[in-house]
Amino acid sequence: MPTNWPENPKIIGTRVTRLDGMAKATGRAKYPSDSHPEGMLFGAMLYSPHAHARIKSLDFSAAEKLPGVKAVLPAGNIKAGSLVRFQGDDIAAVAAETEEQALDAIRAIKVEYEVLPHVATEEQARAEGAPEVFKGGGIVKNVRKGRSVTIGKPDDAFKGDDVVTIEASYSAPVITHVCLEPHGLTVRWTPEGKIEAWASTQAVGPTANELAGAFEIPITDVTVHTDVMGGGFGSKFGADIWGVTAAKLSKKAGGLPVRMFLDRAHEHMGGGNRPSAIAHVKLGATKEGKLIGMIAETSGTGGAGAGSAFPLPYVYAVPASSRTHSDIFVNGGNARAMRAPGHPQGCLVMEAAMDDLADKLGMDPLAFRLKNLKPTDMVEDGFSKPTVDRTPVYHDEVEIGAELIGWKNKWKPRGHVNGGSPIRHGLGMALHQWGGGGPPTNQVACTIFPDGAVEMKTATQDIGTGARTIFAIIAAEVLGLKVTDITSNIGNSTFPPGQPSGGSTTTPAMSPPALNAVTLARDELFTKLAPALAANPEDLSLADGQVLVKGVAKMAWKDACRKLGMQPISVVGKSSPGLASQHGGVAGCQFAEVTVDIETGVVRLKKIVAVQDTGLIIDKLTWETQVYGGVIGGLNYGLFEERIMDPTSGIMLNPDMELYKLAGASDIPEIVVHAYETPAMKARGVIGVGEPPTVSTAAAIGNAVANAIGVRVPHWPMSPKNVLDALASKEGKA
Amino acid sequence: MADLDQKPKVGASRRDFLRGSGIAAATAVITGPAVASLDEAKAAEPEYKVVADTVTLKLQVNGKELSTEIEPRCTLLDTLRNRLDVTGPKRVCDRASCGACTVIIDGATVYSCTTLAIACQGKKVETVESFDTGPTGVPHAFVQHDGLMCGYCTPGFVTACKSLLDRNPNPTLDEVRKGVDGNICRCGTYIGVLEAALAAAKAMKGA
Repeated sequence: MPTNWPENPKIIGTRVTRLDGMAKATGRAKYPSDSHPEGMLFGAMLYSPHAHARIKSLDFSAAEKLPGVKAVLPAGNIKAGSLVRFQGDDIAAVAAETEEQALDAIRAIKVEYEVLPHVATEEQARAEGAPEVFKGGGIVKNVRKGRSVTIGKPDDAFKGDDVVTIEASYSAPVITHVCLEPHGLTVRWTPEGKIEAWASTQAVGPTANELAGAFEIPITDVTVHTDVMGGGFGSKFGADIWGVTAAKLSKKAGGLPVRMFLDRAHEHMGGGNRPSAIAHVKLGATKEGKLIGMIAETSGTGGAGAGSAFPLPYVYAVPASSRTHSDIFVNGGNARAMRAPGHPQGCLVMEAAMDDLADKLGMDPLAFRLKNLKPTDMVEDGFSKPTVDRTPVYHDEVEIGAELIGWKNKWKPRGHVNGGSPIRHGLGMALHQWGGGGPPTNQVACTIFPDGAVEMKTATQDIGTGARTIFAIIAAEVLGLKVTDITSNIGNSTFPPGQPSGGSTTTPAMSPPALNAVTLARDELFTKLAPALAANPEDLSLADGQVLVKGVAKMAWKDACRKLGMQPISVVGKSSPGLASQHGGVAGCQFAEVTVDIETGVVRLKKIVAVQDTGLIIDKLTWETQVYGGVIGGLNYGLFEERIMDPTSGIMLNPDMELYKLAGASDIPEIVVHAYETPAMKARGVIGVGEPPTVSTAAAIGNAVANAIGVRVPHWPMSPKNVLDALASKEGKA
Repeated sequence: MADLDQKPKVGASRRDFLRGSGIAAATAVITGPAVASLDEAKAAEPEYKVVADTVTLKLQVNGKELSTEIEPRCTLLDTLRNRLDVTGPKRVCDRASCGACTVIIDGATVYSCTTLAIACQGKKVETVESFDTGPTGVPHAFVQHDGLMCGYCTPGFVTACKSLLDRNPNPTLDEVRKGVDGNICRCGTYIGVLEAALAAAKAMKGA
């Protein structure tokens, strides 16, 4: 079994374009929402228009009589008497011959609601005299107070004479995933009583499992296909109530396939979101700038049933700390995992406090940060690999990033003013961390066919990180072929078990079994070929489409494969130690340069620098794309994104894509990406990069804005309103 | 009592104005009485009735004459996707804000999610599926510059770029930004998109 990656790779680490790029760029790739099996019906969901209500009665009779309608069903266990707990909570579903008919039928379902009092915002949920909508399970007045986590004696830490302290509140709102392809699937019952589904999912295996479980049929009777999918960001790990209901509709309609995808508003309301974060922080340091303690009271809402945890303290060495976190429950859709869950929130709270304290100390925030890194920050790599110390990595990365943004020349203390222009200029930075390792539990099948074709096959899927290309690079490297010679078949739940695409784990989890599979297949080929070449198997090697004997080309790849006769070589590879970091544990830092118009509150980004380590990089091109993508996700959190709930009606005011703001091309600044890929990092093996670069961007932008305008904008995003409010409060006009 | 001698504040700043009006109004609420009157209006609505019939639609899509039965209310996007199996254009926001449904009609860049199919009869509809897939085409440039990740917005971006280059074969970076400003990508592939558009412009000239 290989325990190391090739020492002098020809393809690994180079810039390889995506194997499925042309299919995607020409519109030919068929997404689950594009699938249209013979006889397909169109599904639609009815969801609650109220934030909180009891369903008094539910009448499908008018809907069922409409032309084209084939099935109407309640969602899940909904019946008269059921509660709906947020706008967007599922009530019923329809399948009809055309989509227009399905939507008509949804409108014709009669529901009588008893509208109940709601709490739609964190403030409303905690207000004196608020209706106690959420009870039980340790919830008091809509709040579940967590236990305090204390390290050392934080109260004592603040007592010294030379302690400089800041006390401040920071917050980030609930944001939603906004997957461009909504949640959903196309599903059918076969005449044999089996389920076949085309699902927009990050996890074909668990989706098949959920469908099998819902109908109590063996998982061997379920096939889930996900050739491509239109974004998940942590919110798409199963069939969900929509997929299960669609399968029920298909069953009721005699097995006709049903396509069920959420509309955009429903997607915002019910398709998952990132919890808010509200923090009141006391942070102290000695006059010399050494952190001594932190006391934090934090809270957040994950909606009507999910938690809102985030890490704090974050990254830095805080000798004494206490932290209490409360989950606030509101009549909103439930949170789901979203890109490095918790880290962007923990990062912006910690990094804002660090910056504010540096300002109070009169220190350069960069120097203050470096002074407060942990003396050592050992990260367990797992397997047989040694642990890695993240602290020197941070030092190197900050130095590189500072150089790339021009910190030394451009950074000036907070609120500096150059002349009378209302356009103020600022620089900010932030550090982050993430896991990104991959568990050793997956398999890849490699088949070498007698015609020379090579297939890599596994039940993982491509969420956009280029999984097909990763497998092909690894196979081509080992077999001395071109990447385009390899076929990667993924996105099918019946293939050998593959990794769900969450936590930046796909590439690190799947690369080792891929290398293992193709190496075993090659060795078997060598054993079979050796007699025909009058050589020992160990004398054979592969390069440039040729089989070599003791380094001399003897036979073309296809001719060699033809010697297999009728029998392909097929090997299932497993993970082996040392090829990927099991736990990951990456560092990373980002710098932002902004201008702020203090008359309008408009923040413009000028430049972002991202320095990122992620072990051994398989494809430099798609790696960079992921880092750019992470930064752009982060700048959305920094400048634009916010779910706005109306306290009076309890509904979401911006469940769309014009008032729910996302960056367009004109909002994208110059972005400089630097891969921190030293020999020591490469030796860690493969680590995923999807999430780390999205963690610290919003924090760095917030710090740059404070640097520009001389006052902390305590609420994300850095929208004109939040910026103007902060400026007004500085002038005593709040 | 108000200080009558206090001078009125002269020249309210843009900042104060903005804080007091437009931007803050994004969080405007529907007040209680308004909700009640809306409910009343709703109660007065007659029973829901469907008045629908189909018409035969003839469309020229990607050089082919296609025909299907649709209700007159069908959008071009839903007609392409649900009835004609032309699924390059995607339905994402469904209200003309994200550009994933972009097609070209008689040379104009159009959001097909807010265009009625019956209004497109007799016009030339081009979708991403019809574009040059060779080395001088826009799709090739997107692949080379990795201007895509999950790929769901990509057909819209490719179409917007193609349409831009048809009108302006020598765009500046700023013109490319403006040309694709009607499109949104959630994965964050803008850097690759901008590079791809400029590269495609270059490749087309060399062709």
